[in-house]
Amino acid sequence: MTTDDHIVFIVDDDARLREALSELLDSHGIRAAAFGSASEYIGANKPDIPACLILDVELPDINGLDLQRQISKGDHPPIVFITGHGDIPSSVQAIKHGAVDFLTKPFSDADLMAAIQTALAEDRERRSARAELVALKQRYLDLTPREREVLPLVVSGLLNKQAAAELGISEVTLQIHRRNVMQKMAASSLADLVRIAQRLEIPITHSRRAGGNRA
Amino acid sequence: MMSVWSRPQFLHLGLFFAAYVLGCGFAQALAIVPGITVSIWPPGGVFIATLILTSPYSWPWWILAGCLAEMFAQFVWFHSPLPAGFLIYVGNALGAAVGATLVNRACGRPVRLESLQEVLAFVVLGAGVAPLVSATVGSATLAWFGIASQTFTAVWPLFWIGDATGILLVAPPALVVIQYWRSKTQLPPAQRVEAGVLGLIFLGVAALSLSDVYLPTPYIIMPPLLWAAARFEFRGAAVALTLLALITMALTISGDSQFVGAPEFQRERQVMLQLFLAISAFSALIVAAISRQRQLALVTSRDRERELSQLVDMVPSHVWRLAPDGEPIFFNKRMVDFLGLDVADMIKPGMSRMTAMIEAGVHPDDRAAFSDTLRHCLATGEVLAMRYRLRRQDGVYRWMSSRAEPMRDQDGRIVQWYGLCHDIDDQVHAEEALRRSERQLQETIDAVPVRIWSAKPTGGPVYFNKRYQDHFRSVIADFEALEEPRIEQLLQELIHPEDAPEVQNTLRNCFETGGMSTMRFRWREQYGAYRWAECRVEPRRNEDGEVAEWYGVSLDVDDEVRAQEALRDRERELSQLVNMVPVHIRRLTPKGEPTFFNKRLLDFFGLNDLAQLDKPDMSRLAAAITTLVHPEDAARLLETVRHSFATGEPYSMKYRMRHADGAYRWVDGRGEPVRDQSGAIMQWYAISIDIDDEMRAQEALRDRERQLQQLIDTVPVQIWCVTPGGDPAYINKTMMDYIGLKLDDFDADGGLPSAIRTIVHPEDRARLLQALTHSFSTGEPFELKFRNRRWDGSYRWTEGRAEPLRDESGRIIRWFGANVDIHDFVTSQEALQERERFLWQLVETLPAMIDCAAPDGEPVYRSQQLREFLGYELERLDGTGKSRLVGTLDAGVHPDDLAGVKGGYAHSLSTGEPYARRHRLRRFDGEYRWVETRAAPMRDTEGTIVQWNVICLDVENEVRAEEELRLAQESLARASQAASLAELSASIAHEVNQPLAAVVANSHACQRWLMAEPPNLERAQKTVERIIRDANAAADVVSRIRALFKQSGEARSSTALSGVIAEARNLMAEEAARRRVRMDIDVESDLPLVALDRVHIQQVLVNLIRNGMDAMDAVAVDRVLEVRVRRVGDLVQTQISDRGAGIEFPDKIFEPFFTTKGNGMGMGLAICRSIVESHGGRLWAENNEPQGATFVFTLPIEVKAAQ
Repeated sequence: MTTDDHIVFIVDDDARLREALSELLDSHGIRAAAFGSASEYIGANKPDIPACLILDVELPDINGLDLQRQISKGDHPPIVFITGHGDIPSSVQAIKHGAVDFLTKPFSDADLMAAIQTALAEDRERRSARAELVALKQRYLDLTPREREVLPLVVSGLLNKQAAAELGISEVTLQIHRRNVMQKMAASSLADLVRIAQRLEIPITHSRRAGGNRA
Repeated sequence: MMSVWSRPQFLHLGLFFAAYVLGCGFAQALAIVPGITVSIWPPGGVFIATLILTSPYSWPWWILAGCLAEMFAQFVWFHSPLPAGFLIYVGNALGAAVGATLVNRACGRPVRLESLQEVLAFVVLGAGVAPLVSATVGSATLAWFGIASQTFTAVWPLFWIGDATGILLVAPPALVVIQYWRSKTQLPPAQRVEAGVLGLIFLGVAALSLSDVYLPTPYIIMPPLLWAAARFEFRGAAVALTLLALITMALTISGDSQFVGAPEFQRERQVMLQLFLAISAFSALIVAAISRQRQLALVTSRDRERELSQLVDMVPSHVWRLAPDGEPIFFNKRMVDFLGLDVADMIKPGMSRMTAMIEAGVHPDDRAAFSDTLRHCLATGEVLAMRYRLRRQDGVYRWMSSRAEPMRDQDGRIVQWYGLCHDIDDQVHAEEALRRSERQLQETIDAVPVRIWSAKPTGGPVYFNKRYQDHFRSVIADFEALEEPRIEQLLQELIHPEDAPEVQNTLRNCFETGGMSTMRFRWREQYGAYRWAECRVEPRRNEDGEVAEWYGVSLDVDDEVRAQEALRDRERELSQLVNMVPVHIRRLTPKGEPTFFNKRLLDFFGLNDLAQLDKPDMSRLAAAITTLVHPEDAARLLETVRHSFATGEPYSMKYRMRHADGAYRWVDGRGEPVRDQSGAIMQWYAISIDIDDEMRAQEALRDRERQLQQLIDTVPVQIWCVTPGGDPAYINKTMMDYIGLKLDDFDADGGLPSAIRTIVHPEDRARLLQALTHSFSTGEPFELKFRNRRWDGSYRWTEGRAEPLRDESGRIIRWFGANVDIHDFVTSQEALQERERFLWQLVETLPAMIDCAAPDGEPVYRSQQLREFLGYELERLDGTGKSRLVGTLDAGVHPDDLAGVKGGYAHSLSTGEPYARRHRLRRFDGEYRWVETRAAPMRDTEGTIVQWNVICLDVENEVRAEEELRLAQESLARASQAASLAELSASIAHEVNQPLAAVVANSHACQRWLMAEPPNLERAQKTVERIIRDANAAADVVSRIRALFKQSGEARSSTALSGVIAEARNLMAEEAARRRVRMDIDVESDLPLVALDRVHIQQVLVNLIRNGMDAMDAVAVDRVLEVRVRRVGDLVQTQISDRGAGIEFPDKIFEPFFTTKGNGMGMGLAICRSIVESHGGRLWAENNEPQGATFVFTLPIEVKAAQ
C-alpha cells in the first residue's frame, strides 16, 4: 500500500502521538518512521529518498528548534513543527529558519497532510537540484587543466582571439579546447555553458571590452 | 661456601683451559719415543704456575678446569682408557697442588722468583718434589692399566723428568709473563737493542747447535742463554728458555734435532733431551736469580749513599774537608750556599786554594790570625778551633766558630782534615751588648750625685766612686799621696770629731752583725766647714746568705737637718703660747688619741697629767670622753670625733664636760686637722670654750619656741609669713609637706616673685603677685584663689589669706598668711559645669529633634534641631490663649493625624506610659514630613514624673523608602503570580493538548480507515480503542493538576488566624485603595490557634479577596469587602463578602477550568478548595441578599490528619 519513494520522519516524545500520527500517515499510504527523541533521530539510519520531518518543539533531550538549528548545516528534510502550545516567538523562529509549517496540537488532518505534501515536494526539488549540480561538478572535474583555464575566458565573453592571446596560444588551439569544453560540459550552446558556469560559481574574470580590468 | 671457594673469572678459566690443552698438544707432538706417552709435560708447568699465582680458595675451579682440559686432550690425542686418564690427571693435579703449596710456603706470597733462595726453592720443591707425586701416580696408573706394556720402574724416571722439565720450562715464563704484565715496566732503548742482538745470536746459535749437522753438542747454547739470564734477569731467562724449548721442539718434531736418532737409542736420547732442557732451565734460572739479587743490592747501597749525602748537606752547619796539606777538597751544600762559592771556585792561578779561600771569605782583620792558626795546626796536627768572621754570599761578614780535626790512618798519618763551622754571629753580638751595658753602668755610678762606696767583707781595698774621690781630693790635701786609704783613717780625717766615734761604732757593729744601718753625721768639707750627711750601709748577700759585699752611699742632708732644728725652736714657743691662751686646747694624733692637753684644760678637769686618763682595754680618746664628758653627750661626741678622724673633716659640737668639782658645764668644742704638704693629716687640734651660761638661756628660749612651732606645724592649714617687703620668712610644716619644699629651697635672692614662680601655677602668678603687691603696699588684707603646686607636681586650687602684723606704732612688721586647699571643691564644681555644658551641647547637636515638657505636657525646652524644623521659638506660643502643647500640635501636626496624636498624648500624660507615634509634621516651609515621635517620662526618686523627654525623628525618607519598597514588592508579587499562572497554563495546555492531538489524529485515521474501499475495520477498531484511551488520559491530566495542590501537612504550624488575615489585608491594602474598595475586617478576639500552612491560607485569602474586588469592579459605589472571622463550634469560620453581582453557579465555580471571567483560567477557586480541604476544612460560596456573594471557608481548631 505505502509508497517507497518518499518517507515522513516523526520526532515526538509522546508515544501516543507518534502512534496516532503513524497510523494517520499509514491511512494516507505514506511511509512513516517515528523517533522518541532528537538524538534517536540523528543516530538513525535514514533512507536517501525525498522526506519530511514532523518535529515536536518540546523534546526530552534537546528542544526541536535547537535540533533544527543543529541539522540546518547539512542536507536535511524540510521540517513541519508541531507543538502543544505554540507561542509566537518560537513559531517565528522556526519559520525563519526554513520550517515548512508550525502546527499547534491538536491539528487537523488536512493541515498536517498539506504541510507534509508541501515539504515532500520541496525536498524532491532540492534533491534534483543537488543531483544536477553534482553531475555538473563531476563534468567540470573531467576537464583538463588547460580546458579549465579556457572555460572562464570563454564564458566571460572574450573573443577566441582575445582568449588565445590571454593564454598565449594560437586561436586554432583555443578553438579545439573550446569545442572540447562544450562537449565535456554537455552544453548545447554558449548560453548554456554560461548558465552552467554560473551554477558552478565560476567567476567571470574578464570582460570583452578593452581595458576590462578597470572594472 | 661460595664466599670461601671464590670463583675466578670465566675468562681466566677459559685461558687456563686453552693453555692446558695447548700444553697437552705440545706434549703429544714431542712424544718422540714410541710407547711412552710424553717426554715433556708442559701442562704441569701451566698448572703449577696458575696455582702459585691464585688463591688456594679458587683452586677447585682451576682443578676442575684442568680436569676438563686433560680429559679433552685424552679424548683427542692420548686415547688412554678413561679411568686411566682420570687417574693420571689426579696425579698431575695432586702434584701441582703439592708443588704450589710448598713453593708458596717456602717463598711466601706473591712468588717473585727474585732471590736465589726463591729460585732454589722453586726448582727443588716445584720442579723436583711435585713431579715425584705426579710421576708416581701416573707411572702406577700406566703400569696398572698396562698401557703400551709399560712397567712402573721403566716409566717413572721418564715421567718424573718429563714433568720436571715441563715445570721448569713453562712455569717461570708463565709467572714472568703474568708479573711482567702486571708491572708494565719498559725496557730502556739501549737494553732493547741489546735484547734484539742477543735474540739474534741466540737464535743463530740454537739453530746451529741443536740441529745435528753443524755443531757437536747442544750445550753450546749455554753462553747466550746465560747472557740473557744475567742481563735481563728473569724476563730474559724465561724468554730464552721458551725460545730454546720451542726450537728444540721444532727441531725434534721435524727430526733434525740431535735428539732424534735410531729408534733403539730413542729412549736414551729422550732422556738426553729432557736433561738438556732441565739443565738449561735450571742454569738460566739460577743465573737470573743471582743477577737479580746483585741488582737489588746495588740499588740499596746507592740509596744509602744518597741519604748520607743528603744528611751532610742538610746539617745546619758548614762541613768541609781539607787535604793534609790544607787544600779544601769538599764544602757541604750549606757552606756553598753561604759562601756562594764551591771548592772549584777556589782554583786560581798563582795561589793555593786555601789562600784563595781566605782571600775570598775571611774578614780582612781576621785573615792573618786565621792563616797562622791553620798553618800551625796543619803542621802540628793539633785540633783547630777558632773564631773569625766569614763573608757571606751577600757580602755580610758573620762570626763563625770553626773546629777541625785530622783523620789519621792506621799508621797515624793524617789522611784528611774534617772541619765544622757554625754561625755564632748573634752570640758574638750579644756578648758585645753585654759589655757595653756594663760600661754604661759604671759611668752611671760615677755620674750620680751621690757618694758611693763598696768593700769586701774580708777587707781589702775599698771602692769609692768618682764623687767620693773628688771629695777626698778636695778635703785631704795630700790625698793622692795615700796609697790605699784606710777607712778608719778617712773617718778620722773627714768626720766631725763629735760624730766620729759613733760612726765608727755603728760601722763596726754593721760589719760584725751583717745588718744594715743608717747614720747621720757631719762631713768635713772644703775650707773646714762641716755639712750634715746621711749615710746608709747595706750588705749584698750571695745565694748562701753570706755577705758578699758591702755597699754604702752618703747623701748631703745638711739643709734638712738645719731646718728641723729651726722647727723645733718654733714649736717650743708655740707650746708656751698654747698653755697661756684662756681656751681649752688639746692635740690628738691623726687617729684621734689625745697627746696633749693644755694647762687650762688639765686644770679644768683637775688632772695633773694626761696619762691619768689611761684605762686598760680602751683607747685614750674613748677613756677621756667617757670619763670627762656628760654621759648624754659622750656617745654623740665620740661618734662625731670618730667620724671626723675617719674622714678628716673638722668638727664642731656643743657638749657638757665635767668640771673638777663634778658639775657639768656646756662647752663649744671644735677640732681641725693639721695637714702636711701632701695633705696627709699629721695632727688634730681641738679647742673647747666654756659656754654654759649661754646654753642654759638658749635652752629655755628654745622650749618656748618649740611649743609654738608644734602648734603651728600641727594646724592643718598652710601658714606662711613674709617680711613687709615680701620676702618669704617662714612656712609651717604643713605647708612644707604640701609643697614638698623647705624655705631654704627657695631662691633666697629672688624674694617673693621667686617663691611664687616656684610654687604657683604659671597662669596665676601675675594675678597673685599683683594682689600681694597691692596688699603689701596698702596694708589691706589679702585674699585670693589660685593654683598652688603640690609636692607631687600637681597644681591644686588654694585659697590664700593674709593679714599684716603691726608693731605699736602701726608699722607692719610681718605678714602672716594661711593657705587652704580648696582644689577638690573647685574641681568638682568645674566638672559639674563641664558636664552640664557637655550635656547641653549633646542635646543641641544630636541629629534629632528633642523636646522637654513639664509633667502636664507643656514644652519647656526645644533643641536647636527642633526649633529650626518648626521655624519658631518656643516663646512664640505663649499668649495665644492655647497651651503650648496644643498650640504646637494644632500648628504642626497634619490635620489627618491630629486626632490620633492628641489622643496619644492625652493617654500618655494621663497614664504616664511612654508615647510613640508616627505622623506628619509641618516643617517651617509648610511641607508636611513624616516624623516619629517618642516620649518617655523622667521620674524623681519617689516616682513622680518631673519631666517628659520627647524625641522626634524625621522619618520622611524612611517612610517613603518603605512605601516604595512595599509597592515594588507588590508589583513583584503580582508579576510572579502572573508568571506562575502563565507557566501553569502552558504546562496544563501541553499536558492536555498532547492526548487531544493524539485523539484528533487517531480520529482522522479512523475516519480514513472506515472510508477506504473496502473499509479497514480492523485498523479502525484499533484506532477507536486508542481514541478512548487518549481521551481518558486527557481527563487524568486534570485530576493530576488538582492533586498537585493537595499539599501535605508537613509545613503546617499552629498559627493565629488573625495574624494571617492582617498580613493578607496589608498585602491587599494598596490594591484596595487603588480600586477604591474599603476593606472591613472583623476578627473575633481570642480566637484559638489553627494548624495551617501560612502561605497557602494566605493564597486562599488573597485569592478570595481579589475575587471579591474583581466582582465589584462593575459596581459604581459602596465597594465594601467584608472579612469576618468567627469561631463556630470547633471550627474557625472565615467569611469574605463582596457587594458584586453574586454568583450564578455557586456549585460549579469550584470546578477546574470553570470561569466567569474573560481572562480567567478557572483554576483559582478549584485550587483554593483543594487547599482548604487539605487543611481539613471546607470552602463554599453563597449569594448575599440583596446583592453580592460570600465565600466561606472553615478550618478546624484541632489538628487533624488532613489526608
